[in-house]
Amino acid sequence: MTPKKALNYAYYPGCSLHASAGEYDLSTRELFKKLDIGLTEVPDWFCCGATPAHNVDELLSLSLCAKNLELAEQVEGDLAVACAACFSRLKTAQHVLAESDIKRRQVEKAIDAPVPLTSNVKHLLDILARDLGLEQLEQAVTKPLAGLKVACYYGCLLTRPTDVPNLDCVEAPTIMEDILKAAGAETVAWSHRMECCGANFTLSRPGVVIQLSHAILDSAKEAGADCIMVACPLCHGNLDIRQKEIEGVYNTEYAMPVFYITQLVGLATGLGADKLGLDALIVNPMPLLKEKGLV
Amino acid sequence: MSRIGVFICHCGENISRTVDVERVAAQVGTLPGVAFSTDYKYMCSDPGQGLLKKAIQEQRLSHVVVAACSPRMHEKTFRKAVESAGLNPFLCEMANIREHCSWVHEDREEATRKAIEIVGMMVERVKKNRVLPTITVPVTKRSLVIGGGIAGIQAALDIADCGHEVVLVEREPSIGGHMAQLSETFPTLDCSQCIMTPKMVDVANHPKIKLYTYAEIEHVEGYIGNFQVTVRKKARSVDEDKCTGCGVCMTKCPQKKIPNTFDRNLGMRPAIYVPFPQAVPNTPVIDRENCTKFKTGKCGVCQKVCGPGAVDYEQEDQLIVEPVGAIVVATGFDLYSIEEKPKGSPIKGYGEFGHGKIPDVIDGMTFERLASASGPTGGKILRPSDGREPKQIVFIQCVGSRAREKGISYCSKICCMYTAKHTMLYHHKVHDGQAYVFFMDARTPGKSYDEFWRRSIEEEEAVYIRGMVSRLYQKGDKIVVMGSDIAVGVQVEIEADMVVLATAVQPQKGADTLAQKLGISYDKYHFYSEAHAKLRPVECATAGIYLAGACQGPKDIPDTVSQASAAAAKVMTLFAKDKLEREPIVAKVREAGCVGCFYCQKVCPYGAVEEKEIRDRQGNLVKVVAYVNPGVCGGCGTCQATCPSKSVELDGYTDEQIVAMIEAL
Ligand code: SF4
Ligand code: SF4
Repeated sequence: MTPKKALNYAYYPGCSLHASAGEYDLSTRELFKKLDIGLTEVPDWFCCGATPAHNVDELLSLSLCAKNLELAEQVEGDLAVACAACFSRLKTAQHVLAESDIKRRQVEKAIDAPVPLTSNVKHLLDILARDLGLEQLEQAVTKPLAGLKVACYYGCLLTRPTDVPNLDCVEAPTIMEDILKAAGAETVAWSHRMECCGANFTLSRPGVVIQLSHAILDSAKEAGADCIMVACPLCHGNLDIRQKEIEGVYNTEYAMPVFYITQLVGLATGLGADKLGLDALIVNPMPLLKEKGLV
Repeated sequence: MSRIGVFICHCGENISRTVDVERVAAQVGTLPGVAFSTDYKYMCSDPGQGLLKKAIQEQRLSHVVVAACSPRMHEKTFRKAVESAGLNPFLCEMANIREHCSWVHEDREEATRKAIEIVGMMVERVKKNRVLPTITVPVTKRSLVIGGGIAGIQAALDIADCGHEVVLVEREPSIGGHMAQLSETFPTLDCSQCIMTPKMVDVANHPKIKLYTYAEIEHVEGYIGNFQVTVRKKARSVDEDKCTGCGVCMTKCPQKKIPNTFDRNLGMRPAIYVPFPQAVPNTPVIDRENCTKFKTGKCGVCQKVCGPGAVDYEQEDQLIVEPVGAIVVATGFDLYSIEEKPKGSPIKGYGEFGHGKIPDVIDGMTFERLASASGPTGGKILRPSDGREPKQIVFIQCVGSRAREKGISYCSKICCMYTAKHTMLYHHKVHDGQAYVFFMDARTPGKSYDEFWRRSIEEEEAVYIRGMVSRLYQKGDKIVVMGSDIAVGVQVEIEADMVVLATAVQPQKGADTLAQKLGISYDKYHFYSEAHAKLRPVECATAGIYLAGACQGPKDIPDTVSQASAAAAKVMTLFAKDKLEREPIVAKVREAGCVGCFYCQKVCPYGAVEEKEIRDRQGNLVKVVAYVNPGVCGGCGTCQATCPSKSVELDGYTDEQIVAMIEAL
């Protein structure tokens, strides 16, 4: 076997992971520790502007991302990003600024520093599947998620926008499924893997979110999934937190736990429920996990 | 001392509006070597040319410069005029003072000065012109047609009807191409087979046509009028002369479950087969990959049952050399498939459409087979998955076409019309069914085309939704089509029983390899390039090779047939003479200077450069130099620009001439 190379990353959690998605942050740190992957939080990072900024002011949104990219330079290693929205924005900003000299000059003036255009921005999925590698991951698995049928949910941001160099195939990605298979789980083929859940309309237009997220939950259930796995705090918010409400509106019952990727992979590597923040999930995953003998 | 005549054209007002032509004439008249100069309103007109001829004779001119429009327009005209006055035509040059001067300038003073300089340059250049003799090459009056679809068939019949021999080479076991697969054809809804099969029979019976099916082009050598084409006749395993076409072998073959590609894999066929019942020739072929005899050595049933003893397992590929004078390329098209694309392909698949995993999502050609009376369902529209009649059917246009992000930006041209046709065929067969069409815009230019399209909406009640489909997915036994109606600005979802994709028209697989064998050029999509988009639409830049049909770009049947006849006409024009006259603007190698690096050979787009051995009197090899075959040279001058030792020069464009022009500035 080739000796393991040391993996170290600059970590950009994004606002959600420090607030509503604390369990994503916790499980990420724990899992990476378990896998011997170093994470050093980028000092003084701030919000990337996520969805609102680029709808209001392109220069602002590009500058926010550029500044974060610049801050990340202080830490050695590629930039690890957990949130799909942050990931999409940081990648897009890099791409846009590399393509347009004029915009780059404006942004550099705004942040008063050069923009690192070639630094590697990586989503956690990328790190697990490619940097660490599926083989290594498989070796780290001590408690395979046998018998768990998972609907891997990409949502709209993980592989979009389509013209930016992307994490995986824009239309038919498999990276989440690959990781989960390495963790011993079963994945289901379903129709709404990449539909939008309504993202941050959850506050301004909840009706939209309820309709869209309902379709997603419905399709996962129809495909026979036990649970859904996400890699984005926005998706999680809509599918998990709003699930009860959706059930009420449509008069159905899903009881479909929605896990973060790091929680499921964490379980497979033998981390306990307390280290993965499973108690922070709204739809209680314990009955399902007990039934499958996973806790 | 040269006696140059300069003729300045007004081009109506095109030139004289901005250029003071009289002053130009007066000024260049003083240049050394100019014996005569004048201006005239329309130099290209009959009196204009008369003036030129008269001046040549009366003034005993040795060279001529016509300052007028672009040489692309009238160089031939003036060279002919000069020739009829007794001078070598290549002693006449044109100075372009229209496109290069009057049209692009407003200031009369500046334009006039520039015109004087341009004409002055040409005066210096023409002094160095040499008398060039016209090149003649013999013509073999036989032609090769590659591809046995409607384009190849039409071209072959037209040429053969004029009494010239034609060699028709088709890759498949039968001629007929895609047109034989179609159901009815737009805009008149006549049955494709009914208008196609008689032509196929004509080809097979024509005394002047030599038909090779199940054959490919192996190798091409030579040049216009004198090509040597090697044809690989693949082993059919059935002797064409002995076979009577009775078909017993096919019924007795124990292998019956091979997907029928002619039916777009909807039906099955045996290992010994003819692609379809009306095939020409009606001789079966053994598909060796799927034949038990070839795979395991056992079986041999077909040989036993064949009365005339035509089945021959030992048959081998044959290589046949055919000398021809002209080549018509008619290799046709293929459809973009939404299956996952192989890695490295520049064209991406349609993941959102399930990468072709949903059985009732089919392409337009498959629908043709379903709708065709000779198809796998006998013309009934039935779902491939369960044989039920679809009551809601969705057609999606522009799948892959006009989709830059998928790697194809062109319009496939025929899909608007065939989708309209499909909605009609569907409604004629499923009276209580509803057809929906997602479209970007309807492009129906063509005789009776728009009326046809309107009919599909007004009479057959197809619902047209302007907008693209973002994705489809299977839900139970339905296919949910999610799209947008941009006319109303709403999202639409249709639960369909079947979906038909109008996928992009692409060139045949291997189009690039064939082009390399022929030495013709192709665009980034691998469609073959014509010599000039408007004025030479059926000729290749390589002399003697012509294009017909969809190998040059998406085309419908009427356009294909017209182009095929045009290509045939071009071939006949070529065959009208016994010797071929060619412009002598070709490259020549100065053997003393040539060092034999053959850079010129590498860059020559026409493949005109050959190797030539130089031997001394004892026959010992001294060196190998380049030799430009004048029959093949296209006169582009690339070799001249490349040659490091300046040993190859294009006649009519020698360094000496170019330097003279520059020095005149
Ligand atoms: S003609 Fe020039 S380029 Fe061609 S082989 Fe001779 S030296 Fe080389
Ligand atoms: S001019 Fe030279 S490069 Fe061009 S076709 Fe003739 S031989 Fe080939």
